Amino acid sequence: MNPEILKLARVLDVEPERLAYLADVDVADLQLFREQVTTTLFDANLVVLERMALASRLLPAPVIAKIAEKVFGPLLCARIAGLVDVSRGVDVAKRLPPKFLASVAAELDPRRATSIITRIPLDTVVAVAAELTRREDWITLGRFVGHLPDPTVRRSLAVLEDAALLRTAYVLDDKTRIDHVMGLLPEGRLPRLIRAAGADESLWEPALDVLANMGKARRETVFPLLDELPDELRGRAQAAIK
Amino acid sequence: MAERTLAEQLGGPLPEGIEALPEDARRDLAAALRDARHRQAKALAQAGEDGLKYVPAILRGAVRKAVGL
Repeated sequence: MNPEILKLARVLDVEPERLAYLADVDVADLQLFREQVTTTLFDANLVVLERMALASRLLPAPVIAKIAEKVFGPLLCARIAGLVDVSRGVDVAKRLPPKFLASVAAELDPRRATSIITRIPLDTVVAVAAELTRREDWITLGRFVGHLPDPTVRRSLAVLEDAALLRTAYVLDDKTRIDHVMGLLPEGRLPRLIRAAGADESLWEPALDVLANMGKARRETVFPLLDELPDELRGRAQAAIK
Repeated sequence: MAERTLAEQLGGPLPEGIEALPEDARRDLAAALRDARHRQAKALAQAGEDGLKYVPAILRGAVRKAVGL
């Protein structure tokens, strides 16, 4: 299914099949619509959330962490994350288990919490990335790649297997970021990704999307690697990067 | 009172491709958004009350006042 429909279904908390009528809608319109919906949901209870963020200043971080996990849950934590003081938010996040943070990440609008996300310790981010990979939550992984510093992305990519990396790249919000992300991979990883795509037909679309969004210089390095691919995929890949 | 349309809930014009959908599809999107907002508001109200149980008694009054409960 179109990744944009999957993302919208996630924001609205409905089954993607319910939104099948969106299949023919232009991707840019779907993306814009999802941003409108996200903004509406984040702003819907803004006054109450701001008061809660204010009240959190009165409490020690361990108490906030306990309330966050036991009472608020991932959705409300995600709504409030962008409203609390950055240092306080980071302090609380450090006290929460990666599984819980992974659930918060799935609900979070990364644009609203960039300052906190970028200050969470590297090991914690990597643990959250590993948990999201275990859940096969490519959408959440993809949404964060655009908001994390390069060293963090590089470490997180190392915990993703080849298929996981391709599926994550496929659902990146900002496709112009794909070439940059490919540039963060260690030598030899890109050929491995291409071989992985050749061995699994379900990875063809993600791989073709990655190829189509690579910069000219990287396309030239990739071209000779296509010889190893099955005929049909090779033809489509060559068309994607010509 | 009539339920708010999708555009009314979003507070602005819909993207072209969404505006061009059949009316029943736009109604379904409006209902999905309305449900999501209701779920969120309900969860927030509940969390405000339940969260106080974890606040040390000495701070409870100040927190209650700050949150507006």
